[in-house]
Amino acid sequence: MLDADFEVSRRDFQVSVQLQLDKGARISLLGASGAGKTTILEALAGFVPLARGEIRLAGRLLSQAGGPGLGPRLRRVGLVSQGSALFPHLTVMQNICYAPGSDPDVGRARAASLGLQSMLDARPKALSEGERRRVALARALTAGCRLLCLDEPFSALDRPLAEELLGQLLAELDELSVAAILVTHDLEEAQAFANQMAVLRKGVILQTGDSVKLLHQPESTEVARLLGYRGSLVRGEDRIVVHPDLVRVAGAEVLQLEARVVGCRPAGAQFWVEMVVQGGDWLGRMAARWVSPLQTGELLSVSVPMTPKFPREAPWNE
Amino acid sequence: MISNGAGPRRVALAGPGTVVALAVAAVVWLALLGPVLTLVSHLSWQSISTALTQPGALQPLGVSLEASVIAVAVIVLAGTPLAYLLARGRLPWGRVWEAGLLLPLLTPPLVVGLLLVFMIGPATPIGSALSHLRLTAADTFFALVVAEIYEAVPYYVLGAEAAFAAVDPELERAASLLGDPAPRTWRRITLPLAAPGLASALAVTWARSMGAFGAVLIIAYHPFGLPMQIWTTLQETGLNSALPFALVLLVVALPLPLAAYIWSARARRRL
Repeated sequence: MLDADFEVSRRDFQVSVQLQLDKGARISLLGASGAGKTTILEALAGFVPLARGEIRLAGRLLSQAGGPGLGPRLRRVGLVSQGSALFPHLTVMQNICYAPGSDPDVGRARAASLGLQSMLDARPKALSEGERRRVALARALTAGCRLLCLDEPFSALDRPLAEELLGQLLAELDELSVAAILVTHDLEEAQAFANQMAVLRKGVILQTGDSVKLLHQPESTEVARLLGYRGSLVRGEDRIVVHPDLVRVAGAEVLQLEARVVGCRPAGAQFWVEMVVQGGDWLGRMAARWVSPLQTGELLSVSVPMTPKFPREAPWNE
Repeated sequence: MISNGAGPRRVALAGPGTVVALAVAAVVWLALLGPVLTLVSHLSWQSISTALTQPGALQPLGVSLEASVIAVAVIVLAGTPLAYLLARGRLPWGRVWEAGLLLPLLTPPLVVGLLLVFMIGPATPIGSALSHLRLTAADTFFALVVAEIYEAVPYYVLGAEAAFAAVDPELERAASLLGDPAPRTWRRITLPLAAPGLASALAVTWARSMGAFGAVLIIAYHPFGLPMQIWTTLQETGLNSALPFALVLLVVALPLPLAAYIWSARARRRL
């Protein structure tokens, strides 16, 4: 349904993308800020020209290198940006039904499923940040987009609110069979949104795949870093990189280590523990389930999985 | 809720600094209002009625109103698209365009009038081209309109540019992604959001145009508009007899700008 293979020139680097999505499918683009995530969405929306390649949606050619492409208004691509871009002089209902020929009943239905029914006559100024995002989502869906692009839509929302909104949004997307792309720097958000995930760095997609598989089988140290691997151990010719969530105290895992606690602070139901193994390798911060905080200097017996593994000379600290 | 002005507003009268600042503000305000107060205090109903009931006394008012309506209409029609393109940076060498707009603003009106004579007067190429259209730009109604346009146009274009620049382009992009054709976006998003700023710009332009004098004096002495009438009256019969006409000019030129100002201040607060 979406078939995109293109490059966009930016001042600092080329953004090069290959994306395929079926009807109703979803993918998350994970990358640090400045990785070119927003540029990709702007290319899909038709606001930046392509340097190479083309974008097709449902059989229609949207953009082509060297040509102006289809105007944004004819693309049926929705975009919810970080700022929501609501029309400040219109009410919530007028915002949601802004698209020419919108059916007010459809608009009301979308508003109801996103929990907006009590504020249809309010103006955007009177809404909270979370409510503004909901209006922007309802507006894009009411306009009948076939592809919805979401630019960090949950940033600036606190976690429970973001999770509630995400649940409602996913239900809507499934019901309407709308394909969607989410860009974010938040791994958990990316995983919660879609099974498919693409890891982006400096405009290039480094690896694409199932988000759980990807996490356990990064193809390079760069991907591992972006997925949250923080520690690294050199054993012989191998560099074993360690994900903080995968370290357990005295498990039956592969590599047994003596580690010294250098810091510990509470984090929700768990503690973030910072520790070094003998020889000085930093293992990063780890979530561990204990009832009381650990003391600095305490010695622990920990085990880490032996994978993923890379050649010893693979770059790690940038 | 407090932020949109629903709650009571309080001025904190704290230290001596606040008192001094308030006193200075009051003096400045009174000084600015002074001329208008003086005008009212120097006029009697009798002098107004004798001055304004003389035959032909109100004819210059009609001339001024007609000329200003035409001048402002021309300025809005020609200046609005220009202001929008400038605000969105769609014109190459935007700074050069802006400098060109500032030129008539920075040039003394008297000089503008003088240069207009040499540019479009009857003896010039443009003047002879105009004569084919049965127009002459010397001491005619047409010349009066041209002079008013030159004196007022920068105020409108620069004001309108600021008004359009204050409309987030992101909103126009959002509208186009929702399937909106450009004219509809312009009508439903850009124009309503820029309206308060446009109204202020329009108000200033109207006042400038009604009061245009310097360029008018040189290129359009006749037919008399209100400013010229004030000038000739005080030349011929003294300062006192010019006051009623000054009042007429104020009464006619000011309500629109004041109404526009109040409306745009309210509209801004609502957003």
